[in-house]
Amino acid sequence: MAALDTVSLTIMFAALLLLAGILSSLVALRFGAPLLLVFLLVGILAGESGPGGIKFDDVRTTYLVGAVALALILFDGGLRTRLATFRSAFAPAAVLATIGVLLTAALTALVVRFLLGFDWIESLLVGAMVASTDAAAVFLLIHARGLRLRPRVGATLEIESATNDPFAIFLTVALVEMAMAVNEPWYTALEELAVQAVGGAVIGFVGGRVIVAALNRLELPQGLHAPLVTTAALVVFGAAQVLHASGFLAVYLAGLIVGNRPTRAHSGVIAFLDATTWLAQIVMFVLLGLLAWPTRLAEHSLPALEVAAALMFFARPLVVFLCLAPFRFSWREKVFVSWVGLRGAVGIFLASIPLLVGMRDALVFFDIGFVVVLVSLLVQGWTVALAARRLHIALPRSLPAPRRIELDLPGQLEHELVGYAIGPKNPYLRRRLIPTWAKLTLVVRDGRVLAAAEADEIREGDYAYFLAPPEKARALDRFFVDMPPPAAPDVRLLGDFFVSADVTLGTLGEIYGLAIAPEERAVTLADFFAAHLDHKAKVGDRLPLGTIELVVDGVAKGRVTTVGLYLAEAAEPTAPESLLAQVRLFAARAFARLRGGGPERRAK
Amino acid sequence: MALTDLVVPQAVVPSLRVNSKKQALQELATRAAAICGRSEREVLEVLMQRERLGSTGIGSGIAIPHGKLAKLERLFGVFARLERPIDFDALDGQPVDLLFLLLAPEAAGADHLKALARIARLLRDPEIAQKLRESRDAEALYAVLMSGSGEM
Repeated sequence: MAALDTVSLTIMFAALLLLAGILSSLVALRFGAPLLLVFLLVGILAGESGPGGIKFDDVRTTYLVGAVALALILFDGGLRTRLATFRSAFAPAAVLATIGVLLTAALTALVVRFLLGFDWIESLLVGAMVASTDAAAVFLLIHARGLRLRPRVGATLEIESATNDPFAIFLTVALVEMAMAVNEPWYTALEELAVQAVGGAVIGFVGGRVIVAALNRLELPQGLHAPLVTTAALVVFGAAQVLHASGFLAVYLAGLIVGNRPTRAHSGVIAFLDATTWLAQIVMFVLLGLLAWPTRLAEHSLPALEVAAALMFFARPLVVFLCLAPFRFSWREKVFVSWVGLRGAVGIFLASIPLLVGMRDALVFFDIGFVVVLVSLLVQGWTVALAARRLHIALPRSLPAPRRIELDLPGQLEHELVGYAIGPKNPYLRRRLIPTWAKLTLVVRDGRVLAAAEADEIREGDYAYFLAPPEKARALDRFFVDMPPPAAPDVRLLGDFFVSADVTLGTLGEIYGLAIAPEERAVTLADFFAAHLDHKAKVGDRLPLGTIELVVDGVAKGRVTTVGLYLAEAAEPTAPESLLAQVRLFAARAFARLRGGGPERRAK
Repeated sequence: MALTDLVVPQAVVPSLRVNSKKQALQELATRAAAICGRSEREVLEVLMQRERLGSTGIGSGIAIPHGKLAKLERLFGVFARLERPIDFDALDGQPVDLLFLLLAPEAAGADHLKALARIARLLRDPEIAQKLRESRDAEALYAVLMSGSGEM
């Protein structure tokens, strides 16, 4: 019986710990602290040096749980990434995830070598451990903070974090082997890397396709679709790892494919994975906190802080500016990408590899890795939103979690059934307003289902269901959910007014008094962008037109659909993306002045 | 150019009762016509011409319908706060309750753009918008509009 009691106790304590983790998110939200850090602290407090006093030093279990959690987080990340965004950010992200990781490791190693006096291999090992950005941390911070970045910036960070793990893991493992003097010819290491990358990509691609096919073909009982997808994702991860391919890469790609193909039960899968990912993150970080020995950490904290500082202020910014130089990013965006090089579980996970294989002085590495991650989460994690605002790169409107019910309609992609509970404070009751594109379909009142005609007026206590185009479902929230007013949009990003891209330059010029060449009068804004941009139009791209600037606001299938008009006066001069655009803008302004637009006043 | 030159106190409507975008534009056109001495039809026409390119609902419950009229003597503005927000096809889908109408002479060029930018950025300031939504009467609304315009 005693054995059973131990099991029950373990279950109870583990569950309590998890509960503490979940409840701690309330604290985090109130103080704006990074959630992951709070989870980590819960683990540390419960651990042997904290009041909890739980003895836990099972590196193997931590590794196992960490790997599963990471796999789920990456799959979820892939699932939410749109393929178009992925394509637009793939090249910069890939450079960051490969050359970037190598350079970061090397630059950090340089500092470690001279500050801490480790030998070269050990220094490189420390560099490799902290070289990769953490998918969990990056995804969570970007999504949970409701930061709307320019899609390309956000996607670059996400894809980088999802794809750089294989490279960092490979580097770490290779260096551990070297440090332990495992004698293998140098080219086996390269071979391994190739197998990791190519194998991971292939398995992920095939796995994703198989999951989609299974989801759409198998007649599973209701409710089993989401668990099927989730376990299948873990199978993809496991299979890749067994074959010495990168499971992390594979599972991210599989997620990307599943998320971008029409599947059954899509919203169910997303909701299920959302919950699973949260749980995975809490379990992983609480466990990592448990594993740490804070009293001993203090011993190595000074050198670790030096490593963290070198990474954040020297290695990462330098690498980002080097790697992103060939791509079109503004300096503000590069600074932001540098700052959001968040380290997380992967770092700790990699730091535990020396422990796992029983390397000499393995604890030193673990402690350094741990402190670097802690500092990164604390300093960078806490200031991500601030940095985005200060650098003027966050788009406005943070969308809070919508309080609506969404139902997929079978065989219907144009409409979605969206439902709202009409509580006493529902804005509808104040305004009585339904947009023209949404159709009231059903009202559930006192447990009875009423058709729209029967229901007459929507009343308090009703559940109202509307048919609406999926892309506008979010906008419907404004009518039925009490939302805090959105933050003031940054006009520099969006423009002051908006017009459809079908408008011709001539019409626009007439209304706003812009000088348009006669041969250009019939050109639509969409064509104007197509002709004058040397790349595919993206949200935020700008072109001067007479005295104003046009800003791409909406794009569909590579063509501009809506355009913001930035009436440049009265604000500080904007920083266009490229030198060329700057020259163009300058020329346009000078030209307008010559034509008698009057001297431009740069009044504040 | 200051906002005081654009909006006279009589051009501030503290609580306009309308049910649709069309009705709102009509009401604004009526008031603008009375102030600038042009026909209501003419004013409505230029406003509709601009709305056809895309809604002037710029988000956060604000709309700034505008247009140009030949031989207008100067820029004219009318501000209205709606009693109940209406659907204005705004870009963010949010119902609109603060409206600023701006009419400009055909030849206004840069002045027109400056005034538009100034009004848009003024109303986008969440503090100003909040104050406008809380103000009860025309004088208070006018005071808020003028107080904010100095900082631009």
